[in-house]
Amino acid sequence: MDVYTITVLANIALFSFLAISAWLLLLVGEISFGQQAYFAIGAYTGGVSTAVLQLPFGIALLMAIAAGGLFAGLVAIPAMRLSGLHFSIASLAFAELVRSVLNVFQYQRWVDGYLTGPDGVNGFRDIRWIYDAGIDPGTYFLMILGCLSVVMLGVLIASYGHGMTIVRSVGENRRLAAAQGMNATRVRIITASVAGAIAALGGTLYAHMATYIEPAQFGLMIGVHSLAYGLIGGMGTVFGPLLGVLIDIGALETLRIFSGYRMIVFGGLVVLVLIMRPRGILDEATVAKVQRWLRG
Amino acid sequence: MIDFIQNIIDGIALGSAYALLALGFTLIFGVMGRLNIAYGPCIMIGVFAGAGVYSDLTQSIVLIFITTLAGTILASAYVERVSFAAIRADAALASMVSTFAVWMQLEEIVAHLFPARTYAFKDLGHLSLIEVGPFFLRQESLFMLLVTLAVLLGLALLLGRSHFGLELRALTDSRRAAIISGINVRRIIFLTFLLAAVIGGVAGFMIAMSDGQVTPKFGLWTTMKGLVAMVIGGLVSLRGAVLGGMLLGIIEAQAQWYFGASVREILVYAILFVALILLPRGILGGPRTLWRS
Repeated sequence: MDVYTITVLANIALFSFLAISAWLLLLVGEISFGQQAYFAIGAYTGGVSTAVLQLPFGIALLMAIAAGGLFAGLVAIPAMRLSGLHFSIASLAFAELVRSVLNVFQYQRWVDGYLTGPDGVNGFRDIRWIYDAGIDPGTYFLMILGCLSVVMLGVLIASYGHGMTIVRSVGENRRLAAAQGMNATRVRIITASVAGAIAALGGTLYAHMATYIEPAQFGLMIGVHSLAYGLIGGMGTVFGPLLGVLIDIGALETLRIFSGYRMIVFGGLVVLVLIMRPRGILDEATVAKVQRWLRG
Repeated sequence: MIDFIQNIIDGIALGSAYALLALGFTLIFGVMGRLNIAYGPCIMIGVFAGAGVYSDLTQSIVLIFITTLAGTILASAYVERVSFAAIRADAALASMVSTFAVWMQLEEIVAHLFPARTYAFKDLGHLSLIEVGPFFLRQESLFMLLVTLAVLLGLALLLGRSHFGLELRALTDSRRAAIISGINVRRIIFLTFLLAAVIGGVAGFMIAMSDGQVTPKFGLWTTMKGLVAMVIGGLVSLRGAVLGGMLLGIIEAQAQWYFGASVREILVYAILFVALILLPRGILGGPRTLWRS
């Protein structure tokens, strides 16, 4: 595979982390415009871990996951008491808060004769772990794919067990779920925390591929796109958000006929899907039909 | 102390523009129970249309103003059709996401039609400062304040005295009761969108004139300022929206003076987040009423 194809595929995989993260919150019935905040937190945590603190990559991944989960959980404790519109605006406010804090966040050290680390608006250069470790783009793409598979496998396993049923029940009707003996608030907070951790994992993988990150990359539009992926692709299965990413990045961004008009086409597509299929292309009914057909 | 009071004066001038933006958001939210996130980008279409007319056709302030209004109204009508009229009444969140999708479209349209990004807008020229004792007031600020007061007065008359105002208030109090009383709900909603577009167009025109230029960041900027002011005001109260706008203006002016621009940004978003959690009904609190006379 040439470098261009690998880059496109890697982008699809990286956006899938964000899309799955926003999709998980859709399942508990909340619309988050702010998952890019945890993507950014993951990117910065992972970048600082390898580039500044010179920690091994595996530790950096774990630290990013922990940071994303922790922040998302801490935000969810007050925010999950809100619902609907209030929660959405709160998620948006938090994401912009993170971005404006990163705009002034500085933590630079001398490493091997280079001054490295986050430098506010000027960004964070030289996250060079994959070059120092001599990993070529193809191998790194496989690593991203491996992490994504673990995440998706986790969601699929939860779908067969009780986990996802609880999450979906809480999303469908919080009071009814509570009446069934589920602790709705705890389920919502845990889901938000897991969603934050997934976004952060994607963020740190992104930071090491890009080698350069800056606060402006984690703007509102990234969050809205990742939310839209789940809505277009569908709420029924974890492949829904993936389908959304494939449609947007795989088709619209790479096909030349759409060049320059991608946002108009994609925006129009979102509008149409919301009108015609409010729960996305692969919605619960469709997924159930496919499952019945597979079982024969 | 003098600085502090001077900041309050500057803050009120800035806040009057925020108040208008918050009014537009609140009007739409009041009649629909849904949020139009694309409100700022619609205004952006208006000011870019105004900037286009200014650079290519005319110097006339009236024509630029009319073009700005027309652009905002056109974009708002599009949003109303695809993101509100076409989506089921009980799917409030779907509408909100849909307005985000329209926002993407509007931004890309502006990027195509105005590739240079930054465009000059008609300004008021070099005006002297008005001095009162130790305090200063920019003439642009005074102009902004006066226009805002005029808009508020007009809005109060329209909502309080006209038949349309009565129907709008009835609709915000109870959608079902309004339908039973024979009010044409779709028509009122469409007219409210146009009303919000006019208010937003006026606000956008004043802001663009005060800055002397427009950039594609205008959409995000106006949406965020209007949203914060609206949330501080409590989402459903017009009086709260005006107060929220003024308060936001004053807080920003103080923060900018004492801590600088980046801390101001952080503070605004922190206030939005905390206000949502601690004061979900805004500073005025109380039950859901758009209008209390």
